[in-house]
Amino acid sequence: MHRIKTSAVLIGTLFLAPLHGGFAQDDVLVLDDDAQFDVDFSFDDDLFGAAFDDDEQSSSISSWLENFTIKISQQFSGQTNSHDVDLAPGFSFPRESELETNRFGINIRYQNAFAPGWLLQASGHAKAYWKDDYEFNANGDSIDTEFRINELFIQHSFDQHSLKFGRQTVVWGETVGNSVLDIINHNEFRDFTIIDIEDARLNQWMLVWDFFGEDSNFSSFLNLYPEFNPAAVRGSPFFFEPEFNLTDYERDGDLLFEFGSQWKKSFEGSDIAFMAAYLYENQLRYEDPLLRVGNAVAKKNDFILLGFSANRAIGKLLLNFDLAFSHDVLADSFNFPGTASLANPVNLNKDQIGTSFGFEYAISNEQSVSLGIQAQKLLDEDEGLLPGQTLINEGVFGSWLVRYSNSLMNGDLVLSSTLQGDLKAESLLVLLGANYTVNDNWALSSQIISINADEGSALLYFAEDLRLGVTLTYSF
Amino acid sequence: MKRATCLLLATALSSLVVVPLVNAQQPSGREIMDLVDEAQRATSDSAFNRMQLSTCKFGVKDSRITCAERARVKALESVGKNYGLNLKDTKSITIVLEPAAERGIGMLSFAYDESDRDNETWLYLSALGRVKRIASGSSDDDTEPASVFGSEFTTEDTETGKLEEYQINVLEQTTESGRDVWKIEMIPNEERARKSRYSRTVSYIDKERFVALRTEMYDQYDKEVKRLLASRVELIDDVWVARSLTMMNLVTNRLSNMAILEINTGIDVDDEFLTQRTLTDVAFRETELEKLRSQID
Repeated sequence: MHRIKTSAVLIGTLFLAPLHGGFAQDDVLVLDDDAQFDVDFSFDDDLFGAAFDDDEQSSSISSWLENFTIKISQQFSGQTNSHDVDLAPGFSFPRESELETNRFGINIRYQNAFAPGWLLQASGHAKAYWKDDYEFNANGDSIDTEFRINELFIQHSFDQHSLKFGRQTVVWGETVGNSVLDIINHNEFRDFTIIDIEDARLNQWMLVWDFFGEDSNFSSFLNLYPEFNPAAVRGSPFFFEPEFNLTDYERDGDLLFEFGSQWKKSFEGSDIAFMAAYLYENQLRYEDPLLRVGNAVAKKNDFILLGFSANRAIGKLLLNFDLAFSHDVLADSFNFPGTASLANPVNLNKDQIGTSFGFEYAISNEQSVSLGIQAQKLLDEDEGLLPGQTLINEGVFGSWLVRYSNSLMNGDLVLSSTLQGDLKAESLLVLLGANYTVNDNWALSSQIISINADEGSALLYFAEDLRLGVTLTYSF
Repeated sequence: MKRATCLLLATALSSLVVVPLVNAQQPSGREIMDLVDEAQRATSDSAFNRMQLSTCKFGVKDSRITCAERARVKALESVGKNYGLNLKDTKSITIVLEPAAERGIGMLSFAYDESDRDNETWLYLSALGRVKRIASGSSDDDTEPASVFGSEFTTEDTETGKLEEYQINVLEQTTESGRDVWKIEMIPNEERARKSRYSRTVSYIDKERFVALRTEMYDQYDKEVKRLLASRVELIDDVWVARSLTMMNLVTNRLSNMAILEINTGIDVDDEFLTQRTLTDVAFRETELEKLRSQID
C-alpha cells in the first residue's frame, strides 16, 4: 500500500507555514447539517471559483507585469537605552537614546524567462532617508535618497550547461550565517538592522558556468570586477571618525579578477563539495597616507582558498561542516563588519585554516533550533613578527551563533531569537524578533537587539545598547 | 511542500477518486478505501499540477457560511513522479507562484516508501542564495500533522494509505449534495491514534464516482472539529476528481479552499527535472515547464 510520507512537507513548512496548535475543547462551533456556503463563497460560485474561470491567468503570469515583485517598506529603529560606556578605566562617554533609522524603501525584482533557455533577472532598491535617520543627519539634516542595482544578470541554459552573466552572488558553504566559505561576495553590515549575512551580501559582476552532471555538479565563476567591503557610512552606528578618510580602492587601471570552482555531489542523506578559488580579501587594509596628508591608502590582498563542505541529515537533525584553507591572507586584516583595519600595525601574509560547523534540528513542525560555530587560526602566527608586535587575532578566534524560531498561527506569526558571540566570550548580541504576516500583502516585523561587550571586544562601543526596530512592508 | 502538493492533490485525488466498482455486491469500507488509495497513486504519478490555496476567517450566518475577510491566496505548481519498487517512492518539486512575498520559493523532495530510509528535502530560498538540504525525518516518524502552506489542510488531512491502521465501517447509505453516498467511519487503531488529531472521521463517498463529498473530523471528545466539503467533481483522465475542496476548522473558524486548477497525469517528466538544478536554474526550469505544458496542450 502506498504510504504518504509527510516529513518532508513538515520540515518544509517550518520555512513556509507551520501548523496551528492543537484543538481546544472549548468554543467548538456546532455546524448544522444543512449549513451551506454562501452564494458568494462557494467554489461553484465566485469567491474561490474565479480561479477556475480564469484561463488567462496562467498566460498573464508570463506577461511582463507579472514578472515584477515589488516590496515597499517603512522602517524605524533606534537605540533606546541612555547609559555610559566605559571604554577604559576612568574614561567613559555617554550614549543617548536616539532614532537611528527612519527610512522608506522600494525593492523591485524582475524575473523573465523571455525565451526557451533564457532568463533575465534584475533587482534593485530605492530608499529615502527621513528626518532623524542617520543618513538624513549625515546629509546636513535634509532628506537623502539612494538607488542601487543589486542583481542584473542574463542566464542561458542548454543541455547540461548554464551560463549566467551579470551582477549576482555566489554562495559557498553549508553553515548558515557564519560559514568560513561564504566569502566570494563582499558585504555591507551598514547598521544593526542588518544582522544576517544573507541581507548583507552584495552582488558583483561575474560570469558563472554550471555543469549539471548525472551524478554531480560542477560550478565555476569568474569575477570580472572584484569589489571590497564599503567603509562605514558616515553617521551610521558603525562609523567612527578616522584620522584619515577611508576611501575605495584606487584601481589605477589595474585589471583585477577572481575565479574559482566548486564540485558538488549529493548522496542519500548527504551533500559534499570541494572548492578552490583565487580571491581578494573582501576587507581592505588601510594605511596612513604618505606625509600623513590626504586620505588613507586602501590596500588589497589576494589569496588562494581551498575548501570542503558537507552536510548529513539524520532524521530531523542536519549536521553542517565547512573547512577552509587560505593561503597568503593578511594576518592583520580586521574583518569586523563596518570597521576598518587602520589601527592594525602589522602587514604580514600568512596561511589560515578555518572551520564552521553546527547543526539544525526541527524540534517540531513549528519550532527549530540551530547552532553554528566558526573558528579560525593563523598558521605559524609568530613568524615574521617584529619584537613587541602581536596579532589582533591570536590563537583560535571566531564566533558562534544560535537561532531558535517558533511559528504560530499557521505561520502568520514567527517568533525568533538569535544569540551571537565570539569564541573569547567578550561579547554577546541577543536578538528577539517577531514577524507577523497580516495578509498576502502586508507584513509587520519587529526586533529587539541587546548587546553586551567586555573590554577588548570590537563591540565595546555598543555595550549595553538596547535597540528596538519595526518595519512595515507591503508586497505585490 | 512537494508532498504538500502531491498530498493535497492526493486528497483531492483521493476524495476524487473514482474507479469502477469492485463487485456487484456492497463493497466493504476497506474495499472502498483501497480503491481510493489506488486512484491516488494513479493521479500523483508523472503528474503536473497547479493549485490555489485560499484561506480566510469565516462566519456562519443563517446557516450559511461567509468569508469574514479577504482570503489569503497561495498559488503553487508541482511536478511529481513515482520511482522504485512498485513505484512507491516519489520525487517531486513544488514552486510557489503567489503570493509575491514567497514567489520563487521551491522545494524538491524525495519520499521513500521504506520506513528505514529518511526522506530527502532541499529548499531554495532566493534570499539564502543557494539550495539548502532540510532534515526531513523518516516516513514513519511520529511527527504530528503539519499545516500545508499555512492552510487549514494538514498533512494528516491529505494523507491516505495505511488503511490497516483503521477500523473502517460503513455506517449507512444516504444522500449528500443530491448524490447517493456511503457514510463511512474510520477509527484509528491505538498506534495510529497517537499520531492523529482525530478520534475518528466520517466520510460521505459518492457511490457512483467514489468521491468523498464531505468528511467530518472528530476530536477525542467526539466533537466535530473540522469539516471537508468537495465540489466541482469532474472526470479527468478517467478518474473522478473533486477539483475544489474546502476545509473548515470549526475551532479556529478559519477555512481553506484548495482549488486544483490543473491536474495532468501520465506526463512525460524528464528525470533531470526532478533534481536540484530545477531549484536554482530558472531558465532551465521554465523551459522544462513549457515542455510539460505543451504536453497538456
